[in-house]
Amino acid sequence: MNIINRFFLFCLMLLSPLYRKLGVSVTQLRSILQAKLIMDDRRPNSIQQAQLRKGKKPIRFATIGTMLYAAFLGMVFLISFAVGKDADTKLMIYYSFFVVMLASVLISDFTSVLIDVRDTMIILPKPVNDATFLLSRLLHIVIHVTKIVLPMTFSGIITVWIMYGGLSVFPFFVELIAATLFTIFLINAVYILILKVTTPQKFKTVISYFQIFFGIVVYASYQLLPRMIDKVALGNYTVNEYSFINLVPTYWFARAWSYLHEGIFFSPGGIYFLLTLLLPVFSIWAVIKYFAPAFNRKLSMISGSDTEPISVKTDQKKIKKSTTSAYIRNAAKLLTQKGTERMGFLFTWKMMSRSRDFKMKVYPSIGYMVVYFVLILAGGSSSRHTSFKDMTDPSKPVAPVVVLTLIYMSCFIIIMAIMRIMYSDKYKASWIYYITPVAAPGRFISGALKSAILKFCAPALMVVNLFLLVFTGWRTLPNLLLGSANVIFTLAFIAYLLLNKLPFSVSDTNTSRSRSGFLRGLLAMFLPFLLSALHYLVYKNTIVVLIIAVLSFIAGWLMMDAIASKSWQKVQLAELSE
Amino acid sequence: MQPIISLKNLVKFYGSKQVLKGINLDIYPGQVIGYIGPNGAGKSTTVKILCGLISDFEGEVIIDGINLKEDPLTVKSRIGYVPELAELYDVLTPAEFLGLMAELYGLAPDIASDRITKMLTAFGLEANINDRMDTFSKGMRQKVLISSGLLHNPDIIILDEPLSGLDANSVIIVKDLISKLAKDGKTIFYCSHMMDVVEKVSDRIVLINEGTVIADGSFEELKQEQGNQSLEKIFAQLTAKESLSDAADQLMHAFGNQ
Repeated sequence: MNIINRFFLFCLMLLSPLYRKLGVSVTQLRSILQAKLIMDDRRPNSIQQAQLRKGKKPIRFATIGTMLYAAFLGMVFLISFAVGKDADTKLMIYYSFFVVMLASVLISDFTSVLIDVRDTMIILPKPVNDATFLLSRLLHIVIHVTKIVLPMTFSGIITVWIMYGGLSVFPFFVELIAATLFTIFLINAVYILILKVTTPQKFKTVISYFQIFFGIVVYASYQLLPRMIDKVALGNYTVNEYSFINLVPTYWFARAWSYLHEGIFFSPGGIYFLLTLLLPVFSIWAVIKYFAPAFNRKLSMISGSDTEPISVKTDQKKIKKSTTSAYIRNAAKLLTQKGTERMGFLFTWKMMSRSRDFKMKVYPSIGYMVVYFVLILAGGSSSRHTSFKDMTDPSKPVAPVVVLTLIYMSCFIIIMAIMRIMYSDKYKASWIYYITPVAAPGRFISGALKSAILKFCAPALMVVNLFLLVFTGWRTLPNLLLGSANVIFTLAFIAYLLLNKLPFSVSDTNTSRSRSGFLRGLLAMFLPFLLSALHYLVYKNTIVVLIIAVLSFIAGWLMMDAIASKSWQKVQLAELSE
Repeated sequence: MQPIISLKNLVKFYGSKQVLKGINLDIYPGQVIGYIGPNGAGKSTTVKILCGLISDFEGEVIIDGINLKEDPLTVKSRIGYVPELAELYDVLTPAEFLGLMAELYGLAPDIASDRITKMLTAFGLEANINDRMDTFSKGMRQKVLISSGLLHNPDIIILDEPLSGLDANSVIIVKDLISKLAKDGKTIFYCSHMMDVVEKVSDRIVLINEGTVIADGSFEELKQEQGNQSLEKIFAQLTAKESLSDAADQLMHAFGNQ
């Protein structure tokens, strides 16, 4: 256990006499908390979960990682102090940041860390009384939340101190506690909502979508907000002008702070202070009264250990038809050859759309890349004080560069998604490839590649092309076609060089990449640059562009065939061994 | 002799579905009970009630003269439970995990650490005592779980598929352990689907189906009642609604060559 956890445990155990009065066994409480804190330290936190972990190093000191992450997030909130002309506005934005971000961090932790369903099987059969068990859970939540809230608000507390003086810190902190309780209530409400609309089995998937979404929003707001803030206009902004603002809880926190800060007992601000006191009380009451009972029962179903087994369906009518949509089956018929390739295509499509592991790894990186994309465009247009419309004006010399950058950049987004189809946490299931009489494993890969291209590349190209068509007019169409053909060719080429394993057959943690593989990767990444440069040279010559576009399409198709003919020697055996 | 476990008219509903329809059982010290039944018969539910995992049941559970509903903590401290699924906090090491278990049972730390080392050594895990369990195989986890169930030297030991994942040599150890524990006066409640093991280790077999006890007695007694055949056959005879060989025939028909 690290020093931080030890400190928290020590502080909480100071109240032992009180716990004893509640009928709690203090030694049991301490040992449960101790074990929980050790586990916290070894569990990947919300950022580490989303990242691809290199190597199989056991996780240690996750607590410190979480705290640093929270501190970093907290500094982003400081933007709010640069906005608005009065404290109400600044603090309302600060508290809003705080509530949203705290919720984003806690929402995923709640199932995995705080309400560990294994507790039922492990602790409940032991002679531990209810008071001890409940208090251990409660104190664990308190420690966990404190470990996030303290570093997260540290920079805010310092800022408030500097801006409004030392006396203002206390009310600021009081309102932070109220906001924290409110956030926990919000998370509970979201959980209940998700459980209402979906099955406990799908719960984790929905939560992961939340995580992905929040991750991208955090990244985007961190990257974009400082650039977009027009300091002069926002400096004069105040939320007090709007009457609807009275309905926003984070505004109450801000007003309550003002009330406490001013120190005038009888003033309208008192109502807000009262509201912020009542809000947590109401939240806790609502959680206990409405949420907790059904909640715990449903939560234990999430783990699947307590669910009633799905009975074998006997009703003939209820047997569902194949869940694959007609769209995909038609696409498969159109794009792939019958047999192994088509099977690889459909299999990969289903895995990509259903595997939580795959989505958790791929979607955030796509999101980050899209943000980065927007960033480059926004940066480009703001530095030259030109609008995007001006930049893509065909008469301007810069237009081809912008068009080509946009198209060829999409390569980098998609290639990551495509390379991920090799990996899976269920990689051991790939034994099916090796026990079946498959003559040409390459067909499997080409099918998988076509599937991934259809899933990720087609929509991306569609968006980029439509976007550019709208801005540049139909005259760019030949160039867009060539660009798209080249993108597909590039993807096929890179896949030919690097996609040497069967889909979903490689362990995530496997990073033993050969040096030649690295060089090939570098070379492959260079290809989009090379092609876009060549494309630039012929950009104005429509006839040439069209001819090359056709050739490029054919080359892409041939590349796919080359992948399909890969033999077992080339398709390296993935490690089935443990 | 006073029974050590006494179930009286045990009834349990999940929603409107009745899982246990009045189970009556008296189990005496030193008995090894083989508790068997098809999936969904109510085996796990009975076990969960005995361990105190489910508290909203009807009927009476008396453990060594103590009513489970009145004093669940004392009952829990008498019982050792080895769950079916390898549910453990796998980021902990065996020493840490078992240390936590020992504390929860109120064992003195020095006795506990001595026992933990001895038990894990006996299972051949002494080298892994400070490794995190997330790297452990299923069998290794099972050994830790079995240790956690025996750590506080309980009078009653509830084993739910304790052999799953164990290699042949460990199976021998555990089977031997079961008979030695029984000789020592411990009562063992053994739940399993592996009929051949149940047949050998238990001296009394309780068969339940659809929430009621349908057969109860030693293997010899069951053989006398149901004809001299293996436990597997007796089980099928008592629990299968349709003939199992018909099902096999239907499976063969699926090839469409008849």
